[in-house]
Amino acid sequence: MSANIVTIRNLSKIYQQGDINVTALDNISLDIASGEFLALMGPSGSGKSTLLHIIAGIDRPTNGECRVQDIDVAKLNESQLADWRNQNVGFVFQTFNLIPVLTAYENVELPLLLTRMNRAERRKQVEIALEIVGLADRAKHLPKQLSGGQEQRVAIARALVTDPALVVADEPTGNLDSHSAQEVLGVLRTLSRDAGKTVIMVTHDPKAAAFGSRQIHLEKGELSK
Amino acid sequence: MNLPSFILKNALRNKRRALLSVLSVAMSLFLLVTLQVALRELTNPINDEGSSLRIIVRNKVSLAQPLPARQLQTIDRIPGIVAVTPFSFYGGLYKGDEKFTSFAQFAVDPQRSLPLISDAKGVTKEQLEAWIADRTSCILGKMTADRYGLKVGDRMQFTGQIYPCDLELKIAGIYYGTADDRNLMFHQKYLDELLGNPGTVGTWWLLAASIAEAPLVTDRINKAFANTSAEVRAESERAFVLGFVSMWANIKTLISGISIVVVFALILVTVSTMSMAIRERFRELAILKAIGFKRRELFVLILAESFGLAMFGALLGAGGAWALFNNINIQKMTNGMFLMFEVTPQMLGLAFAVAALLGLLSALLPMINVARTSVVQGLKTLD
Ligand SMILES: Nc1ncnc2c1ncn2[C@@H]1O[C@H](COP(=O)(O)OP(=O)(O)OP(=O)(O)O)[C@@H](O)[C@H]1O
Ligand SMILES: [Mg+2]
Repeated sequence: MSANIVTIRNLSKIYQQGDINVTALDNISLDIASGEFLALMGPSGSGKSTLLHIIAGIDRPTNGECRVQDIDVAKLNESQLADWRNQNVGFVFQTFNLIPVLTAYENVELPLLLTRMNRAERRKQVEIALEIVGLADRAKHLPKQLSGGQEQRVAIARALVTDPALVVADEPTGNLDSHSAQEVLGVLRTLSRDAGKTVIMVTHDPKAAAFGSRQIHLEKGELSK
Repeated sequence: MNLPSFILKNALRNKRRALLSVLSVAMSLFLLVTLQVALRELTNPINDEGSSLRIIVRNKVSLAQPLPARQLQTIDRIPGIVAVTPFSFYGGLYKGDEKFTSFAQFAVDPQRSLPLISDAKGVTKEQLEAWIADRTSCILGKMTADRYGLKVGDRMQFTGQIYPCDLELKIAGIYYGTADDRNLMFHQKYLDELLGNPGTVGTWWLLAASIAEAPLVTDRINKAFANTSAEVRAESERAFVLGFVSMWANIKTLISGISIVVVFALILVTVSTMSMAIRERFRELAILKAIGFKRRELFVLILAESFGLAMFGALLGAGGAWALFNNINIQKMTNGMFLMFEVTPQMLGLAFAVAALLGLLSALLPMINVARTSVVQGLKTLD
């Protein structure tokens, strides 16, 4: 049943720094099935974030192609890409995900402001999303009134509120204690298991990676396993 | 939540900084408007129909040179003139003042001056007659009378500054309703007497029969005394006052200079604070970009915020100046130095234009940065 949602072929990313070329990704080919919870591992500087950014459409490859739901993301222009991200990708970053002046509710609502939904429709979506991450009772709190783990869960709620096919998370538990990390990872797993989302998570931590349905390793820009 | 409330929350996220930005815009624009008002007041004398009908005739060489009193017979014969009187600026120091007297004293022929001061109210027929009859009496503008608490019957002493003689004058009447309710008028004859009848007057003051006639009259007078020992220059009272005002040209340059400096300093300070406020949010802007906000939408957010703050400042500053100057009695507060102190729509327009420019400039740098930085670069700014 699970067709591939992401298809990567011969993908390279080379940064030019003066005379030196830094190869962040070296001729990568990878398929990611729909509904997978993929853990992307590897040492620092191995190109994990770079790969994630290209899949999520906030960076462009130097060579090769990356298709998401059969769309060659690199071929979209900036404005099309913004719309595409809004509809298809949810983001969770390692830290400072939330806008500090907005409440949890408002942070989650943010991506919906770009859609045609009216206030009542938005409310419904936001409430569902906060319910999924278990923070319905924290809707009115500002980020500084939340714990690190709760902040990350609000970020996850924001990532899934537009009902995207793909959720990407770059070291979402990197700054959390193990208990909070467990909660966040549990929520991400629920997304792929119960809500059918494809989740791609970058992590250093083997324990975190164990939550994934599949683990892959990057080493100096190449897939090692 | 909606976009406007998001913009508002952003603008107010650092309340102290927002307040300081708004206040610095407000105070600078208040200053700018005030300077403009003062400038206008100094260089734009009151313009009424009367000041075009009234004509001042002075010595062509300079205002300080007197005119021969015998010119009166010639002027009397020139057509188109309703009234003519000697008009000599005495310029004495009032006894109550120490260095500077803020009102002028003019020696006139009271009888002949009546048509020229017909807009003066508050002086009864009896008082006018008393003035005409008593060589040592005067009539005084209400503004000056109020300032020194003077009333009819009081005596005023002056020390001569231009003429080598002192004066003591009794107030016969107090007038108001003229273009300048500060001046004092007394008898030329009394001045002549004190000076030993030198046979001169300061200037002639006359009233043309109509506005159409006024330029013809000045022409005729100038011609009548051409090639005599005392050539004259006749001009409308308004032109005469404007001539005085040209002395203010330096002040005008000064005030314009100050205005430009104010605006410039304002722009530097505000632009740097406001754009800093946004630069600090680079990572947030990158996250907004990641979740689908486009460049255009981010521009709107940034511009609306700095524009909003600047406009609010303008509303406070320029609007405040307008409300203030409309509601205080500037004549009283400045002892008659300023009469109208009116904030014109042009000045408000200028203030708001400066504010708009400010909002635009403050947004410009952050907008360029946002346009240039990719999401990935933006995310790295705080990681
Ligand atoms: N803008 C850039 N300019 C030059 N080199 C870059 C740039 N961004 C990343 N790199 C290089 O690309 C390589 C991969 O970087 P990337 O951020 O993807 O690594 P990572 O696996 O996410 O590391 P970490 O675990 O530390 O986050 C690194 O060698 C890095 O130095
Ligand atoms: Mg990384």
